[in-house]
Amino acid sequence: MPERFTLSSLAIRNLRRRPLRTTILVAALTLMVASLVFALSFVMRVNASIQLTAERLGADLLIVPTGARGAAEDILVESHVRSFYMDKAILERIRKVAGIDKLSPQTYLVSLIGMCCSVPESMVVAFNQETDFIVKPWLKKKLGRNLQKGEAIVGEESAFNISLGLIEMETKLFGNAFKMVGVLDKTGSGLDTAIFISDENIEDIIKNSEAKIKADQISVIFAKLEKGANAYKVMSEIENNIVEVDVVMRKDIGKSLLATLGDIRKIFYFTMILSTILSLFLVWAIFTAIANERTREVGIMRALGAKEGQVVKLFLFEVLVLGAIGSIMGIIAGTSLSVLLAKNFSILKNLPIDIGLLSRMLIAAAGLLFGTGICVLGALSPLQRLKKLEPLIAISR
Amino acid sequence: MSQIKLQNITKTYKVGLDSLVAVQDVSLDIQKGDFISIVGHSGSGKTTLLSLIGGITTPTSGRISFEDMDLAAMGSNGLSEYRCQKIGFMFQFASLLPMLTVKENLLLPTIFVPEPERTGAAKLNDKAAELLRSVGLLDKINAFPGQLSGGQQRRVAIARSFMNNPALILADEPTGDLDEETEQEMINFFKSMNQTKGITFVMVTHNTELASHTPRRLRMHQGSLQLL
Ligand SMILES: Nc1ncnc2c1ncn2[C@@H]1O[C@H](COP(=O)(O)OP(=O)(O)OP(=O)(O)O)[C@@H](O)[C@H]1O
Ligand SMILES: [Mg+2]
Repeated sequence: MPERFTLSSLAIRNLRRRPLRTTILVAALTLMVASLVFALSFVMRVNASIQLTAERLGADLLIVPTGARGAAEDILVESHVRSFYMDKAILERIRKVAGIDKLSPQTYLVSLIGMCCSVPESMVVAFNQETDFIVKPWLKKKLGRNLQKGEAIVGEESAFNISLGLIEMETKLFGNAFKMVGVLDKTGSGLDTAIFISDENIEDIIKNSEAKIKADQISVIFAKLEKGANAYKVMSEIENNIVEVDVVMRKDIGKSLLATLGDIRKIFYFTMILSTILSLFLVWAIFTAIANERTREVGIMRALGAKEGQVVKLFLFEVLVLGAIGSIMGIIAGTSLSVLLAKNFSILKNLPIDIGLLSRMLIAAAGLLFGTGICVLGALSPLQRLKKLEPLIAISR
Repeated sequence: MSQIKLQNITKTYKVGLDSLVAVQDVSLDIQKGDFISIVGHSGSGKTTLLSLIGGITTPTSGRISFEDMDLAAMGSNGLSEYRCQKIGFMFQFASLLPMLTVKENLLLPTIFVPEPERTGAAKLNDKAAELLRSVGLLDKINAFPGQLSGGQQRRVAIARSFMNNPALILADEPTGDLDEETEQEMINFFKSMNQTKGITFVMVTHNTELASHTPRRLRMHQGSLQLL
């Protein structure tokens, strides 16, 4: 059967008319949607990582040496290697604060350097086995006993790197040989790249290596509160009485990271607003030019019987196709960029989780809606003018 | 019942602050199957008159009706359907769409036909070919307007005006840029369409010899219509 010549056949013919101009428009849309998709992916990824870390952390409060708040969050959320220390005696002073249920200290030791460039630095964490409620709940298989000296539990990602030979535990751990006896489940936090040893090892490490740490020093104290205790009250009580420490509430974890990212986000938003305005203007300008160029044609079509609605449909088809092509290209570009930069952008590289397929699809849908929406919006006023023109006037243009 | 009835039609154009009377107090009855020629000096209002009849512009005063239906009461969509299904326009100037082939230009008016009345694609293709044969341009069916001479483009536009089986053809100097022989062929084609299909013709021409052979002859003079 022969193909019917329809309004869309006509629209397709029109689409091919000015390839350069069409390309410029599509490129602008691509840029706009790509920046939107990239910014959304970035922001969602940071937010999701922070939320996940806070959710999975078994502690209500995080107590760190004064000034180390940001560094502690770096470790937990981004797996950055940081070291900072305070006196172990502080533990006892905190224990006296009303509302505290459990306390568990950890000591952050110098990093293990991976064998190969792409292996992330691993934090060696000495934890207190007696009081621990942070590490052991994540063990894949219950150990059934305490860690011995020279034994280690490793985070999911570190275990993988060790199994590939990318991290050499035997030789690299402060001159002491360590044996991997347990692996943690994936936590989706900084724990994944850490190697955990008992704090009984610290003495030996100090003896055998140039580690900067002194005995009886800890880096962080995780606190669990009694049921019904007011976290905010406990926090201010600790901070008011013990000047040597800062306290981070579970719900505030990631705040300093967000503050750091604040400017980046501002740049994103600024770029997005700017490219949106530019695209809108470009769409408007191009469709005004198209409407002017085709005024006579539209007049002829109207004289041959085209309804106002059919003229609108004809142009809207063109607008939507251009918008969709630009948006889809923008989605592909933005997503690729966010995946690529995730590997190279130091802020993103260490974030525990990537956004899921669902989030990516949501972002893509938002990009498509936004890209085509801007296109329709920009074309609206020239189109409105065109369809209302009296056919005779349009023809005599 | 007249097919077209014009009652005291006046059309003024606003030109800046001035207004220009292009058609003045014209009344005219056109019967189904009429073949009318209109002559007149340049600027006398011929194109404006055809445009009023064809519903692509509205009169400043007066009433136009098609088979007793007031054009002014049809509304924008009703008027479009009227142009689409009742009227065949042959414009004074080139009117083919440059990005469409000859065949597609012929099919153009058919895409505006409301869905229930639409004819199948195969039939429409046959019809386009048939009309192109009538104007002697079947071999140009896949050419683009840019590849045709002025006279050839004119003949394609002539063929196009018959695509939707109009009741009334409004022809504005349809043979203006044709040689005498081709002109005569076109006129013969019009006459046969007029006689076999009962299509009404209102034809503007500068060729008084041609006009003298039409059954009804009118002259436009400074916006007024005179019988010849
Ligand atoms: N859109 C317009 N705006 C203002 N004046 C117009 C417009 N269209 C036509 N006119 C004027 O109306 C008068 C009639 O014009 P029209 O085109 O109907 O003449 P015509 O008889 O078809 O002339 P020709 O033989 O040259 O085609 C002319 O004086 C013309 O200048
Ligand atoms: Mg004229």
